Parts: sequence; C-alpha cells; structure tokens
Amino acid sequence: MLTKLLKYDLKNIFKFLIIFYSLSIIGAISTRICFNIENSFILEIIAQICSGFTIAMIINILINNIIKLWVRFKNNLYGDESYLTHTLPVSKKDIYLSKILTTIISLFISTLVIALTLFIAYYSKENVEALKNFLLPIATAYGSTIIKIISSFLFILFLQFANTVQAGFTGIILGHKMNQTKIGFSVIFGYITYTITQLFALFITFITALFNKDLMNLFITNQIIDVEIVKVTIYLSIIIYTITLIIGYFINIKLLKQGINVE
Amino acid sequence: MNFNNNIPIYVQLIEQLKTYIISGQIKPGEKLPSVRDLALKTKVNPNTMQKALVELEEIDLIYTERTNGKYVTENENTIKKLKQEYAKNISAQYFKSMEKIGYSKKDTIKYLKELGEDK
Amino acid sequence: MELLECKNLEKSFGNTKVLNNINLTIPRGKIIGLLGKNGTGKTTLIKLINNLLTPTKGTILINGKEIDIESKKIISYLPERTYLDKTMTVKQIIKFFEEFYENFDSKKAKKLLEDLGLNINQKLSKMSKGMQEKVQLVLVMSRKADLYILDEPLGGVDPATRDYILDTILNNFNEGASVIISTHLISDIERILDEVIFIDKGQIILTQDADELRTKENDSIDEIFRRMFKC
Repeated sequence: MLTKLLKYDLKNIFKFLIIFYSLSIIGAISTRICFNIENSFILEIIAQICSGFTIAMIINILINNIIKLWVRFKNNLYGDESYLTHTLPVSKKDIYLSKILTTIISLFISTLVIALTLFIAYYSKENVEALKNFLLPIATAYGSTIIKIISSFLFILFLQFANTVQAGFTGIILGHKMNQTKIGFSVIFGYITYTITQLFALFITFITALFNKDLMNLFITNQIIDVEIVKVTIYLSIIIYTITLIIGYFINIKLLKQGINVE
Repeated sequence: MNFNNNIPIYVQLIEQLKTYIISGQIKPGEKLPSVRDLALKTKVNPNTMQKALVELEEIDLIYTERTNGKYVTENENTIKKLKQEYAKNISAQYFKSMEKIGYSKKDTIKYLKELGEDK
Repeated sequence: MELLECKNLEKSFGNTKVLNNINLTIPRGKIIGLLGKNGTGKTTLIKLINNLLTPTKGTILINGKEIDIESKKIISYLPERTYLDKTMTVKQIIKFFEEFYENFDSKKAKKLLEDLGLNINQKLSKMSKGMQEKVQLVLVMSRKADLYILDEPLGGVDPATRDYILDTILNNFNEGASVIISTHLISDIERILDEVIFIDKGQIILTQDADELRTKENDSIDEIFRRMFKC
C-alpha cells in the first residue's frame, strides 16, 4: 500500500514541479546561448535578464517544492480530500511515511535540477577555476576533495530543508489539534517546532563541545574559527539533522495515531 | 409502483401481488423472479419483498421449490377462492358507497342492470 | 457478531456535547435510515464510525473489533461533500479506487457511469457539483462492501435525481450487506427502509422496524417524524 500512496504523492508534486524544472532549464540554456555570442551589447543585456530569470526559477523550485508539500499534506490529511485519505485501508504510518519519502525524493531531485541548471548556465573554465581556487585551501586543509566538500554542504542543506518541511508537518498536525479552522495555529506550531529543532541542534553541539576544545571556541570566543572546526561541524550537522529528522518522524506518526479530527 | 407511505410497504406489495395472481397477469404454476429481481422491479428493499412473499406463502398462494425458487400455486381453487373474496369485498364496498348517496341495494342492482343494457 | 456496535458513544467539541450516550447496533442485511433534522449529530456519528473523528468517550466496534484497516476494507462511505482530488479525471479515480480497494468493481463503475452519459476522460474540476456527486455515489456503490454509509445522498438534488440515486443504491448494494442512509428528506426514502433511527439533539430517540412503526402509528414515517420533532 505504501508504494501506491507514494506513487500518487510523487505524481502530484512532480506534475507541479516539472513546470519550474522546465522553466529553469530553459532559462539556463538561454543564458548560456546569449553569453556565448560575443560583441553584442543587446545580447549581453538579454543574457543578464535570462540569468536573473534562471536564478528566480531556482528559488521558485525550492520555495514551491516546500510549500506544495505542506499544502498537499494539509489538503490530504485535513481538507476535503481527508475524507478519502483516512478511509482508505492503509495505516497512518504508511500515509505519513509516504509524505516523508515524497519530501526526501522531491527535495533531492530539485537539488539535482538546480545543480544541473547552474552547470548549464554558468559552467566555464574560468568559473570552475575560480571555484577551485576558493575551495581548494579548505579542501586540502581537511585532507578532502572539492567534490566531497560540495556534496557534504549540499547534503546538509538538503537535510535542513527536509527538517523544515517536517517541522511544517508537525505544525499542521498540532495546529489542527488546537483549532481546526484557524490556519494561524499551524503556522505558529510549525515555527515553534522548527525553533525547537534548531535549539536541539545547538544543544547537542554544545554537549559535544564539552568534549572538544576547538568546537568550544565557537561558543566562548569570537575569533576567526579554525578550519578543523568546520570539518567537525559538518559531520555534526549531518548527524544532528538526521537525528532530528528521525525523531520528528516518530513524533508525527505518534500524533497521527492519536487520531485525527477532520472538520 | 407507487406506494402510499402511510401503509406498511409489504402490505401494499402483498395486495399488488395478489391482484396480479387473481387477474391472471401471473399465471398459476408460473415461476416468480428472484426476490432481489422482484425488489428491483418494484423498487423496494429486498427484505420487504421477502416479507411479502413469506406471507403469500403462508396463505398457499405461492410455494417454494427447494432449489429452483418460488412458484405461483397450481391449485386453481385457492386462486378462485381468493378472487371471490376480492369480488365480495369490492362489491360490498361499492354497495356501501352507493348507500351513502341514497341508493338501496335493490336500487343499485337495478341501476347496474340498466347500465349493462345501455351498452 | 454484530456488524456495527456503538457503546456509550460521546463526542464533544470543546464544551459542547454533539453526541451523547449513543448505543446502537446495526445488524447485517438491513437498510437503515438515520433520520434527524439538520445539525442533530448525524454527520458526527457517521464521521466517528469512519475514523474521521475520535470519540470523547465510548467505543465503536466493527465485526466485534475496534476500527482498523480491516474495518476500512469493508465499509464504503459516501461523505456529504465532494472529496475527490479534482485535478484527476474520472478514469484516474477509477484506477485509484481499483488499486486501493480490493472489493472495487471497476467494470461496474464504468458501466454505471456510461449509463449516466459521463465522459470518463473528463477532469472532476470540469464537472458540475451534481455530476461530481453522482460520480462519487457510483464509486461508493461499486464496492462490494459489508456496510455502506451514505451521508445525505439526496441533499441538494432535484426529485428526478433522487429517484436515480435511490435506484442506484437499491440496484447495487452488495447482497447481505447493510446500508445506513442519513437524511432529513424522509418521504423520498422511507419506502426502501427496513429500520429507522431517529436522532435529535445528539441522542437516539427511537430505533424501530419501519413497517412496525407505520402499523403502530398508522401513519407514514415522515408524518411520525414531523409530529415528534415539531418546532
């Protein structure tokens, strides 16, 4: 049953995101073409416009991805469609798991599309060189590679977004428990959940810092931080955000199993 | 079929089925459709139809052959008896109505005769 | 084992008791009218049975067990609102039902929709509300369920459509199954009822065999109801 739910959830979100995916890639290609033709002032301007459009579309992908996930969650679990969702012969766990998997998959694909867009629009030897020069000192300091740095950074970003989406889900669930009609409650609870997640992350970092002097410097000094700390922080962030994601998942399932009260 | 909501539906169904049988619209020995089909035709609840059929069975107007379903009785006497009973009731009612507007039984019969000769 | 049993059921929203001390048994193979004026708790009771609300007190048993996935498999529920994803076509929704409900008969659904003259390639959002309601009724009646729960299936439709809806219900409900029909339009529906439940102010006032009630009161259910709940 989970795969069936997942199929419909994925269909729903990608049917919508595909528009922004196409627009951003079209924008990227136009940017590329316009930048490649030299000695034209007009084309230069058009290229800048295309570039701006592409960036706007990238932001659109991210924002719309997240908002669409929330809207679908709300409609599906508490709106008119909830009459169907909750009378299907599936468990609450499967319903929620499908939403979370959809979140993870769609955010992952969106990240890939964004990366692809950036690559199409701005890939050039000079740009890569500049990026390399910027990242290489950091990479060598860790004994790591540029690819690893970029991917771990993207991974953290992705975890962070997934946590944000899930905090929103918790907000919607709690908001509905409080008051079924006022959406404001959902927003407040979502924000509170998100803040709690972040405080939790900070708390864990602090606990870890008790055993790690370098990390402690983050809390007690304002010196320019050591490269070594960045490395620890990256690992720590990945671990903490994965943990919060998992904790949030179980909390939300528990809340849903307590029963829903549809308007 | 139009029902009068004031009278139990199964009672109305019984009346209807009885009329069908004594008028020969359903012939003696004829097989009846299944309860469900009959219910669908008359647009009533199958349970109500079942109840009506059970009552008809009790007065031996229909019978059940174990596996094949329900049949109208082949005993024409039973049907005839019922028909007479109906005729009697309808006539009695008619006389009563005529009496109300001042016709005695004799007058009524006389009137009926005239009516028959006119034709 | 009774098909459905409600014991001491109570539901409150905040401080308002919407349902109070509901004790109810629904046997198999009956068509039951859940009759009450608007806002007396009919929909709340139905939503409790369908797990869309959680009871404040009391229990609901289906086939002797609490509500779970198994009970959802055997209950076919028609809400009083349009509840399907309107961006989907009728055909896609048929597929959806087929995938999720083992007891869904898609051939039957398609045939019924064809009889209605509906284009199954049309999106729900392009259909009138009345049409959408008919699609929903067809989908719900195309399941071979043990219990059909129909919430106000006659609400807001013209008399000709009412006849169509009643016929569809009668022609299609699974043999041996029970049907609960909630409505305030009693005269239209009473000819098909086995039993009636009168509900008022969140309480069950009366539960009786329809024909017995008619014989006892020598009147139609509609009239009896009107007398009982005169404003």
